[in-house]
Amino acid sequence: MTGDILFQADNISKTFGGLKAVNDVSFALRAGIVTTLVGPNGAGKTTLFNAMTGHLVPDQGSVTFLGKSILGLPHWKIARLGVGRTFQDLKLFSHMTVLENVTTATESGSWLWQTGGRAAKAARIERVERALEATQLVRRRDTRAVDLSYAERKFLSIARIMASGARLWLLDEPASGLDRSSYDRFLTVLRNEVTSGVTICIIEHNLDIVQSISDRIAFLDQGKLLAEGEPKTILSDPALAAIYFGERGP
Amino acid sequence: MSTYIISLAILIGINAILAVTLNFILGYAGIFSLAHAIFFGIGAYTAAIAAMKFGADFTVATAAGMVISGVISLALALPALRVRGEYFVAASLGLQMLAVTVFSEWKSVTGGIGGLIGIPPVRFLGFDVSDPVLFLGLTIACLALIMIVIRALVRSSFGRSLKAIRDDETAASALGKNVALLKTLAVMVSSSFAAVAGSLFAFYLSFINVESFVLEVSVQIIAMVIIGGTGTLLGPVIGAVIVLLLPALLTYLPYLPPTEIGSIQQMIYGLAMVLLMIFRPSGLWGYGQSQDRKGDAP
Amino acid sequence: MVLLQLFLNGLQLGAIYALTAVGFSLIFGSTKIFHVAHGSAFAISGYIYWWLASKLGVPWPIATLAAVIAAAAFGLLMERFIYRPIQRHEASFFTVFIAAFGVQLFIQNLIGTVAGRGMETVNTPLSRSVEIMDGLFVAPISAISIVVAIVVFTALSYFLGRTHIGIAMRALSENPDLVRVFGLDPGRVAQYAFVIGSAVVVPGAIFTAMTAGLNPAIGTHVMLVSLAATIVGGIGSVRGAACGGMLLGLAENLAYWKLDPQWSEAVTFVVLFAFIVFRPSGFFGSPTAAR
Repeated sequence: MTGDILFQADNISKTFGGLKAVNDVSFALRAGIVTTLVGPNGAGKTTLFNAMTGHLVPDQGSVTFLGKSILGLPHWKIARLGVGRTFQDLKLFSHMTVLENVTTATESGSWLWQTGGRAAKAARIERVERALEATQLVRRRDTRAVDLSYAERKFLSIARIMASGARLWLLDEPASGLDRSSYDRFLTVLRNEVTSGVTICIIEHNLDIVQSISDRIAFLDQGKLLAEGEPKTILSDPALAAIYFGERGP
Repeated sequence: MSTYIISLAILIGINAILAVTLNFILGYAGIFSLAHAIFFGIGAYTAAIAAMKFGADFTVATAAGMVISGVISLALALPALRVRGEYFVAASLGLQMLAVTVFSEWKSVTGGIGGLIGIPPVRFLGFDVSDPVLFLGLTIACLALIMIVIRALVRSSFGRSLKAIRDDETAASALGKNVALLKTLAVMVSSSFAAVAGSLFAFYLSFINVESFVLEVSVQIIAMVIIGGTGTLLGPVIGAVIVLLLPALLTYLPYLPPTEIGSIQQMIYGLAMVLLMIFRPSGLWGYGQSQDRKGDAP
Repeated sequence: MVLLQLFLNGLQLGAIYALTAVGFSLIFGSTKIFHVAHGSAFAISGYIYWWLASKLGVPWPIATLAAVIAAAAFGLLMERFIYRPIQRHEASFFTVFIAAFGVQLFIQNLIGTVAGRGMETVNTPLSRSVEIMDGLFVAPISAISIVVAIVVFTALSYFLGRTHIGIAMRALSENPDLVRVFGLDPGRVAQYAFVIGSAVVVPGAIFTAMTAGLNPAIGTHVMLVSLAATIVGGIGSVRGAACGGMLLGLAENLAYWKLDPQWSEAVTFVVLFAFIVFRPSGFFGSPTAAR
């Protein structure tokens, strides 16, 4: 149900060798909307993602997903619960084809075969086809990931997370470097997913993108959550703009 | 002359099994093992003892070898795979050295340095298959069966998961894959199939000793996989053929002192590995050079 | 008393292992290259020293210098002609490892063909044991090797902590771009790492030639120990590698108290295995390095 809290972080902190990368951050991600994390470089956005996906364990605080604590769970278990993630450097399976990349995203079982029998297999194939269609990669299904164009690689990264069936998507600068038309297509894909119930949280630098895509914005700086709210409010705040563009006192 | 060819073919078949099984973890899952000869040895010793002490026929002896090999590989894989790949290399090298000492010292079981002699002629489903031609048939059948199983695994969801892990472990686990478990399963499959080669070896020679399972042998198997080409099914077989024909070829060169042939063989492997890695990393039969990544984020 | 004797022997062996492990850790730590041909630097320098000092009767300072040049040249050539071309295109862990392995294999067999497969030692009065206490034998070489190890290690610490290039070597592993801030080229710094990392094994190789003796397979053995010491000490910590080497040298000798000599290599594996299971980050490694 839109508006329900899907993911909750309370007072999480993480210190690296004396540096507080994440400093007492609390926020919630609600179902069915797009939240964007913004902030200057080094603000702790990727570290926050890492804490949310279990790649890092916060020193303090609690992290819950769908009401259950996920603190300390290994990241693959958290992924199986429905938290999906993309990476700034994409991390595609370069020697595998597009079809294999997307198919393997549906196969999280770790035994010699997947459970569920024929019905489950048919459902998986259906998810794969749907993901390929939505990202317009159907014609490129047998191309190896390493031979794709830049835009196609970005879309493959999305096709993978789409096929995985994740309910919460954590996207790390997913649209950077895309040309105008690809970028428009990209936004359409994301919007469609949100309409069908996916919750998205994006790290993004480009303010145009932030403006056109966000339902809510969270502003981070030096590990602290400075503000959280509607795009109009956050983006028009002069103090935050100053921090963002680096005009800060000594 | 023809007995020589049949003998060579049997040895090639046995080594092809070793190369194909090593390629499963090396080429498809990106796991480095320097201990493959040990699982070869475990299969050989187990099959020999099963036949000598319990009168087991080929199928039972081989099955026993596979089980024990699989269990011991678990002991190696579970701790070492929890952490990064370099640790597995180190642990496998250590296991290789440790196991050779065990093979040499555990006289009551392995016959110590002298080894086990007098392994009974091999029986398969009631038939005596110790005749060289029949044994060659058995070897080829085993190789074919193993290749079929591995092919099925590679094309399955399991195979895709392994290749995903090889290409990017972080992304694989971000998709919910239990990387440690998948790698452990792959190692177990690889090791238990390697034991089949051991069983064939023991019955073929009727005698085994630790010299056949030392580090040089693990290295030779790696050479077969590298030279033939990783990541393909046929590559390792071709590698096995090339590597095993090499000594025969070398004996024809007149100016090579026979005592040095083993050494020169190893030097050729070493050189081949270096040159291949610089110029053609996918091996002689691999799936070809991958192109450079087409531009990442600006 | 036997235990004390074994302990002293262990210190000497530990000193040799520590030096070799430090070399490997330095190279791996700064360039991230899994240089499994490191053992060959040991073997090459050891055999050159033996050939010059023992077979040709060359005075030891010259033989030592030659050994150092040989080891350093080996490291440099590896970096320039093997690792750099590989890194230009398909530089995965796989290709680097196999190439290094191939080199190690080639060199081990080359040495065996050229110099023979037997155990070779350099005879020197320094290796003659003196009974310093009832039942306790120490040879001057033991004290010398420990002192040399300490000196080398201190010099290395100073170099890594105080000089531009040394600091750059540590920075190289974290962030290659940081190195440019120092006005240095990452390629150059990598070369330094290889030269120094390879040269550092020479004392150990010479002492081994004088005591236990050399054989062509010594490279493999030394490589296993360096690897184990680096893991035990913690990947990324040069200090850790030294401690790890010391620990393994002690463990290997103390094992003789209860076990037959054939099991000494097994002891190395058991220690390594224990660390992998219980403390993968080693003594001083950062916890993230173990992921």
